[in-house]
Amino acid sequence: MIRLQGIQRRYVSDAVETTALHDIDLHVAAGEFVAIMGPSGCGKSTLLNTLGTVDRPTAGRYLFGDRDLAALDETELAKFRGATLGFVFQSFNLIDELTIEENVALGLAYRKEAGGQNGGRRARVAAAMDKVGIAHRARHYPHQLSGGQQQRAAIARAIVGDPKLILADEPTGNLDTANGEQVMNILTGLNDEGATIVMVTHSPSHADLAKRRIDMLDGRIVANAMRAI
Amino acid sequence: MNRFALLSLYRSLSRHKLYAALNIGGLAVGIAVFLVLGLYVRFETSFERWLPDHDKVYVVQTVWNLPGSPFNGREPQTMGGLLEQLREDFPGTVGTRIWGGEGAGSVLRRGVATKEDVAEVDPSFFDVFDLPMVSGDGRRALADPSGAIISESLARKYFGTSDPIGQTITASYEEPRNYRIRGVFRDIPDNSDIKVSLLLPLRKNVERDSWYHWGSTHLSTYLRFESPFTARTYGQKLSAFVDRRALKDSGPNASKTETIALLPLAEQHFASPKGGLSSRKLTVLTLGLVGMLTLLIAIVNYVNLATARAGLRAREVAMRKVLGADRKALVTQFLGEAMLTVGIAALGGLILAELGLPLINAAGGLSLAIPYALVVPSLAALVIMVGVLAGFYPALMLSRFPAAAVLASSRAPGGGRAGTRVREALVVFQFGLAIAFMIGTAILLVQTRHVRQADLGYQRDNLIIIRSIADGNVPPALRRAMVEAIRTLPGVQKIALGGDGPGGSGTTNADNVPLPGVPGDGPNLRWVDTGPGYFQVYGARLVAGRMFDPARREDDHQLMDASTNHNIIINRLGVKQLRFASPDAAINKVVGGDRPRTIIGVVENLRFDTPRNPIAPTYYYYSSDPARNYPMIANVRFSGDPRAMLSQIRGIWQRMVPQVPFECDTADNRLARYYQADEQTTRLFAIGAGLAVLIGCVGLWGLASFNTQRRVKEIGIRKTLGASGPDIVKLLVGQFLRPVLLANLIAWPLAFVAMRTWLAGFDDRVALSPLFFVGASLLATAIAVLTVLGQSLRASRAAPAWALRHD
Repeated sequence: MIRLQGIQRRYVSDAVETTALHDIDLHVAAGEFVAIMGPSGCGKSTLLNTLGTVDRPTAGRYLFGDRDLAALDETELAKFRGATLGFVFQSFNLIDELTIEENVALGLAYRKEAGGQNGGRRARVAAAMDKVGIAHRARHYPHQLSGGQQQRAAIARAIVGDPKLILADEPTGNLDTANGEQVMNILTGLNDEGATIVMVTHSPSHADLAKRRIDMLDGRIVANAMRAI
Repeated sequence: MNRFALLSLYRSLSRHKLYAALNIGGLAVGIAVFLVLGLYVRFETSFERWLPDHDKVYVVQTVWNLPGSPFNGREPQTMGGLLEQLREDFPGTVGTRIWGGEGAGSVLRRGVATKEDVAEVDPSFFDVFDLPMVSGDGRRALADPSGAIISESLARKYFGTSDPIGQTITASYEEPRNYRIRGVFRDIPDNSDIKVSLLLPLRKNVERDSWYHWGSTHLSTYLRFESPFTARTYGQKLSAFVDRRALKDSGPNASKTETIALLPLAEQHFASPKGGLSSRKLTVLTLGLVGMLTLLIAIVNYVNLATARAGLRAREVAMRKVLGADRKALVTQFLGEAMLTVGIAALGGLILAELGLPLINAAGGLSLAIPYALVVPSLAALVIMVGVLAGFYPALMLSRFPAAAVLASSRAPGGGRAGTRVREALVVFQFGLAIAFMIGTAILLVQTRHVRQADLGYQRDNLIIIRSIADGNVPPALRRAMVEAIRTLPGVQKIALGGDGPGGSGTTNADNVPLPGVPGDGPNLRWVDTGPGYFQVYGARLVAGRMFDPARREDDHQLMDASTNHNIIINRLGVKQLRFASPDAAINKVVGGDRPRTIIGVVENLRFDTPRNPIAPTYYYYSSDPARNYPMIANVRFSGDPRAMLSQIRGIWQRMVPQVPFECDTADNRLARYYQADEQTTRLFAIGAGLAVLIGCVGLWGLASFNTQRRVKEIGIRKTLGASGPDIVKLLVGQFLRPVLLANLIAWPLAFVAMRTWLAGFDDRVALSPLFFVGASLLATAIAVLTVLGQSLRASRAAPAWALRHD
């Protein structure tokens, strides 16, 4: 489903040039659950952002199915993200001024085809909230929820549009153990239902829940191994 | 405030230069607008207050209760002999008369007359007006029939640097006489309606028929009272006085149609001839309001932005608290910062006002100057007030935030939803005012343009009016000769004498016209005497009947006595006033009771007066030899360059009657005087309103900038979720568009009421079209979109990965 070929990402600020990704080659098949690990600053989040098209590679090819994403402009990429991807962040990134229900609905706001009429959209939002067990907090604002609840809401927002790929950047990083486990259960459950997930994590135990583990160091993939089942 | 606080303020301002410039600049412009318009209001409301004991002086008004008549209302003139009658009936009355004033007389030098502000006054003038003298004894000068007192500047004009006291001057009010200068008074300041520079002793004009004739008005009469109570008591006796004194001329109960009243001198400037709010007062109030609202918009903006941005400093405040700053220190810091910043804005405002004042003076025909002794303390008070308003919220709210919570939070507190609502409400308020200002400016501009271009019933260009030909010192034979001499000038197409013309003739006559079969005096109509070719000079349009025909004896009222039927022409308004169904229905009808007049024609209304006054229903006489009549002005239709034509006419005048000052101008220029005040007001209003809109935009820009900054992360989230650049632009622009659209709810009714009131002051006015409202709203919306578009576009282009990392 995803094929990265020779991906590079360099940042230039003033006189300093930093290379965050070196010649990354990666293939992710549909239905996979890939965990990316590595020390801070190794390029995990940059790789995830590149996969999520929120960061453009400096060089290399990014094929999603048959589409070469390098050929898309910003508007087309935005449309692609809205229709294809779901994001889960470490710091939840819910919008404080919107209720949980509205935050989840935001996952459909920029999809022209998803949900159809308002009634259909509402049903999909309700289903997504149900799935992660957050429906009873629909009318609350993010600051009224615990961290675990906020992350579940963020997952609901990520899955409400039935994305082909879910990208999770340290989804348990801001959660206690119990809430972390709960979030991982949801993600594995989604993967079991067929969702493709790429997750950045610092937790080896959470990485072990993925089907494949990639280790990174200094912007390079240093290990890429399937979990033995 | 310690050194670090000052350093922090300096760094904050220099780091966000554009924000600082716009925010402080916006407030400075607001202060400058307020200062300048405040100076204008102060000037307009200070009329006659320069005069010592001005509050003891009262103008005697003549009050006409003649509904439907052009005379109806109040005028600051009285019958010539009124003061003498008042003294007879109320011994101890302290009063004086001023007969003449601006351009009313002339000074003759080497046989050539120059128009000057000459007036004749009673010897008791100084009992009423404590006119500051520079030299000589004014009281004694006016007691001497050949004595005169002169203003400093006029003395300089005629006597140079030599001492004017004892010198002789030939001056003419009614007729030329020699006077000896016996005193010099300080120039009357600009804020006075008493325009005099040469005062001569008033000669009792008993030989004039009308001096003691009730119903006539000649001059201004002023009385002095020691207290408002004595003035009030005196005023209460005036109706009975009028009934008693006017019995002979006006019959019993004369005070029901004509009476006199006392008006405090300082209120004269704003007195409305028709009662109620005068257009001048409305103008001053409006411009004062524009100044105040502009300052208010600037303050609202400043406080709004300052408090909004202060929210972004919560982390700094928390750090200061961690480092040991107590609430008092933080409050002091924030208030100090705010006052210092507002102080900079105030200084900027003062500089802008000083720089802009010459421009404003030119635009408004004013001579304003900043009185620093008054302005500096006022600005200091403003700095404290705005400083407290702008610094109060950050000082109290931020210093109350728990430091640990703020430091732990990933985002700065910015007032939350309540803060957003308050800021939105303030945008609604300021844009409401801005849109109302735009509507007002558009209507002012269109109306002032309309009166310059409106159909007056005649062609206004290539027309010259010679008013001085009506001067009593020009004998009829000379008038005839002058008319013939002008007629032969190359370029002169037509010339005619008549009792009215653009800018007026200086006299207004009216009488009641009894209708056949209708009891009573009949409706009141103005009458105008016309000479041969009068309507032809104006190209007046005949609506029904025919024009005067010099070959028909019955057209010429000079050949008949008053009781013989003779022909008249009426204007279109006269048809209605005389209760005819149509112009055609009026033709050949006889009106006038025992002074019968046959209507032979109806002409279109001719607007010679200000567009503010209604055109009077009028009837016209015809005189075959109008030069015999007094006063008739000459109306000249010509082709070619007006300046060359004026110069040629001046040449003839100076050759034939140099002893009479020449008063002649184009119809365009004479009419322009009517438009001048409104055009000046429009310019001042437009400047104030334009700057208010600019300040509103600065505020909107600042808020948009603040909001965009606060929403960077949200923008990142939305873009990650698939929002495109245009989606983000729509979101951000839409956020500001909503309050701007809501602002119309304030603007439309406000502008409608204000502009309807203003337009009501015009007889000839444009319609209050919905286009003004829709147009201003569209313009405001476009301005708002353009103001926030730049930032929205920038924000929409931010890489989402960067935005997501933004705190």
